[in-house]
Amino acid sequence: MKPIPLLILLAALAEPFQAAHSAGIPARPEKLSFPPLKFDAPVPDQYRVTLASGPVAYLVPDRERPLVNITVYVRTGKYLEPAGKEGLAELTGWLMTHAGAGANAAAQFEERIAFLGAQLDSAIGDTQGSVSLNLLSKDLDTGLGLLRDVLYAPRFQDDTVALRKQQTLQAMKQRNDDTSAIEDREADYLSQGETFWANRYSTSNSVESITPRDIRDFHFQWFWPSNFVIAVTGDFERNAMVSKLEKVFAGGPPPISADPLVRTGTPPPIPTNLTFAPPGVYLVHKPEVDQGRVSLLLPGIQRGNPDYYAVLIMNHILGGGGFTSHLMNRIRSDEGLAYSVYSRFQPGVYYPGTFTIGFQSKSRTVAFACAIALEETRRMSTQPVNAAELEVAQKGLIEGFPNFFNTREKIAEQFAMDEFTGRHAQDPQFWKNFRANLQAVTPQDVLRVAKKYLTADRFVVLVVGNREDILRGDPTHPVDLKSLFGSFHEWPLRDPMTLQPLTPTN
Amino acid sequence: MKTSAILTLLPLWIAQLGFGPALSAQNVPVLEQILPNGITLLMVERHDDPSVAGGWVAHVGSANESPGITGIAHLFEHMMFKGTTTIGTTDYKKDLEILAEQERVRDAMRSEESRMRAAWRRGSGGDWQKPENWTPHYRELQKKFQALVLEERKVIVKNEIWKLYQSHGGHGMNAFTMDDMTAYFVGVPANKLELWMWLESERIFHPVFREFYAERDVVFEERRMRYDSTPLGPSVEAFNSLFWQSLPYSWPTIGWPSDIASISKPQADAFHATYYSPQNITLILVGDFDPKQVSALAEKYFGRIPRAKNNPPDLVTTEMIQPAEKRMNAEVSANPQVDILWHTQPFGHKDSYALQILAQLLSSHTGRLYKGLVLGRGVATDVAASQNSQKWAGWFDISGEAAEGHTPEEVEQAIDAELSRLKREPVPPEELQKVKNNFAADQYRQLNSNLSILQNLIWNDGEGDWREINAAQPKLEAVTAGDVLRVANQYFTKENRAVALFTRKPENASTPSKQ
Repeated sequence: MKPIPLLILLAALAEPFQAAHSAGIPARPEKLSFPPLKFDAPVPDQYRVTLASGPVAYLVPDRERPLVNITVYVRTGKYLEPAGKEGLAELTGWLMTHAGAGANAAAQFEERIAFLGAQLDSAIGDTQGSVSLNLLSKDLDTGLGLLRDVLYAPRFQDDTVALRKQQTLQAMKQRNDDTSAIEDREADYLSQGETFWANRYSTSNSVESITPRDIRDFHFQWFWPSNFVIAVTGDFERNAMVSKLEKVFAGGPPPISADPLVRTGTPPPIPTNLTFAPPGVYLVHKPEVDQGRVSLLLPGIQRGNPDYYAVLIMNHILGGGGFTSHLMNRIRSDEGLAYSVYSRFQPGVYYPGTFTIGFQSKSRTVAFACAIALEETRRMSTQPVNAAELEVAQKGLIEGFPNFFNTREKIAEQFAMDEFTGRHAQDPQFWKNFRANLQAVTPQDVLRVAKKYLTADRFVVLVVGNREDILRGDPTHPVDLKSLFGSFHEWPLRDPMTLQPLTPTN
Repeated sequence: MKTSAILTLLPLWIAQLGFGPALSAQNVPVLEQILPNGITLLMVERHDDPSVAGGWVAHVGSANESPGITGIAHLFEHMMFKGTTTIGTTDYKKDLEILAEQERVRDAMRSEESRMRAAWRRGSGGDWQKPENWTPHYRELQKKFQALVLEERKVIVKNEIWKLYQSHGGHGMNAFTMDDMTAYFVGVPANKLELWMWLESERIFHPVFREFYAERDVVFEERRMRYDSTPLGPSVEAFNSLFWQSLPYSWPTIGWPSDIASISKPQADAFHATYYSPQNITLILVGDFDPKQVSALAEKYFGRIPRAKNNPPDLVTTEMIQPAEKRMNAEVSANPQVDILWHTQPFGHKDSYALQILAQLLSSHTGRLYKGLVLGRGVATDVAASQNSQKWAGWFDISGEAAEGHTPEEVEQAIDAELSRLKREPVPPEELQKVKNNFAADQYRQLNSNLSILQNLIWNDGEGDWREINAAQPKLEAVTAGDVLRVANQYFTKENRAVALFTRKPENASTPSKQ
């Protein structure tokens, strides 16, 4: 027999052969049927305990592994830094667990933690601090003693403070090395304003001026049980853990000031004086890179906004839903212009967030990709989404809902954060109603919020990359970036140590 | 059909609340089954939340590539999301016709690219990847190809795999490629187990590599983002290639830029045929299911994929023994620092455990390097050490950033001094115990969700043996001070290492503007 007909015969047979082999396997997954899955959102009050010593705690036992995890969230933050002491919150946060505590000097304290195989970490961010302990349950009592020392008796010894300041100053030198660091910083300046407290970055002067006394005062002012919210998960029995926690938090540090305001240390409200830059392109010249980083920015929304659910769905369809989103389909899959493309519409907790579309593309195709992002944004605010894509977005968020709570740590931390940010008090049924609220969103809702928030003529577009190549563009897809968003601005780099704008050079 | 099942039934988590070394007795209860076609199935039953984390490992990575197609394992991983014969298209027949026509145009383009490369080698044409350097004929072909892309778009259903998973509550869908493995994973609600079986078996069995050439551009952007446009990326890539001489770890997993721009769809088809055969794949499921049901579904869906006639070729190339120390000096946009690599041993080698203990002795704020270099001599601001045990080879890495007023050379000398001490004096018992206590606690930290257990099994299976998820800890526990002393002397030699010294590139003349 000749080999060629044989091959054809085999090929012709392949289809029925497969079909026979795949008995019971449908050609499309729509033919599959799935058993129902009922998932009830966990109920916060099932885990919530108000400790006699002050803090509210969420306790979620998990006996699978012999570990305990405790996180103490603290009402403090960068927004409380005195002017001229920028960097104080971050330094204080790091030094709490690294510069000695209680009876132990720095080196000895870290040795004790290390010998237990434990992790004890602390940090202070913009609007909250945290101290977390993770260790084997057999070492719990020892670990809780060390945790109490960190919360109430950190030593902030001079040599460690000096070393950390030096490390901070050295890290500062790298502020312009990576284009993503430049992009993050300048996007905040443009969307919140240069004078907004969160953009008061540390400088060499501010860090050098910070003394151990500044750090001690900052810690002492805010680390009180009334400012704590606790999340606990792991290998423990609830009542036993409650009495252990009472011992940790009872009685604060010895007062160092007679001023009752300082002692109680209830933090003032978080300032909300945002300013958004005038529309246009802001280009930061970074000659040595061959890819431009782009952020398209618009004012966002704040938590509690009744448009939240429609905005969530709208953003999911535009660019938040990964590979099913319009931006991903056009900029990445169709045109191959970027690896990462997304939009983000995270509501701010204390002040409105920023709506962001972000991507990175080779210098020559930055303008083309910007034009597509603009087109897709306009399409979103002029044409209703179709029923099928609305359904994918809704189902994705609704069917994927159990994933918010798929570990005990996620349950405890989510509820502790809701307590901390006030959501538990303001909207206690938030998680219970979450899926129904998403299900109620209609194509008209999506169009309405897109018209309201996706105001494309207000876009502030930050581009960081090689100016000449970016402005030259791609001959096969010519787009004039300078006129695409109205105005065009050369936006200077800043001196890494002072953050003063540098004179642009060629 | 007869199933030869190897079932390894291990007891549930042994959480002994005693003291000391007993805690190392962790066991993740893994069930193993080999289907008749050679595919391996691993299952971990865990009813903590109503979901299943599903993944699979193809035992192929960039180490299996060759010059000209570096990056193909990773590009291929991207292509696995482009659909199947029934997913991703409204008209498969038409789609196939267009794909075939696209390849005919691409063949012509490849000939023209070859001519443009030749011209460039002679200095008479610019870089052919820049559009202004294209020949008129190439522009014509580009237009022709673009027209076919637009035609295909009419029958394409964009990213349909993602849509299907998403609308069924799938989450965290992703994939990764390394030197030694390619892995795909996703979390699904427990009731959608069969959807996972359907989609994953279909894309192994009947993949269709649509939008191949646009995806190649996506990978190129990924390369720019991760390496080319980062302060250390280009130098670190060069240093890696300096370190590996013969072993194919010498090229980056993402591929050389010249190769990414030239890999063809026929090459990807051949790659699939060679490496994505059942005997080269392990399926792993962790979560809320009945293993009997999983086993039956796996046989039904994955059991239908025919075993390949030939096993994928083994990697036979081994790394040459270094005849001399290698050194590199680089100016970068970053703080001054040093990075030192030594050739050590691969995954599962008996010395790899003592080397891991040794790395931990050097690491963290209570380790030898931070104490000696940051707190003691004050020559560094930060230090790191790691033993990397991969399938085909292993290496030890120590790096440190020089403190203000000190040089990378001083950091290098201080690292040498700490290593000399480890070669002379046995590690004191308390220090060794401290390090072991950290490993004992860490083993549990890595296993806090279905997805993290899945990742752990993926890693161990891909590097050589999933059983290490349970077997590694006792081996680490058994390491003695004598073992540490021996490996320190054996591997930390000058001839066995490569040293990279990074200094800051001088700034161009930008000055603060007058306020």
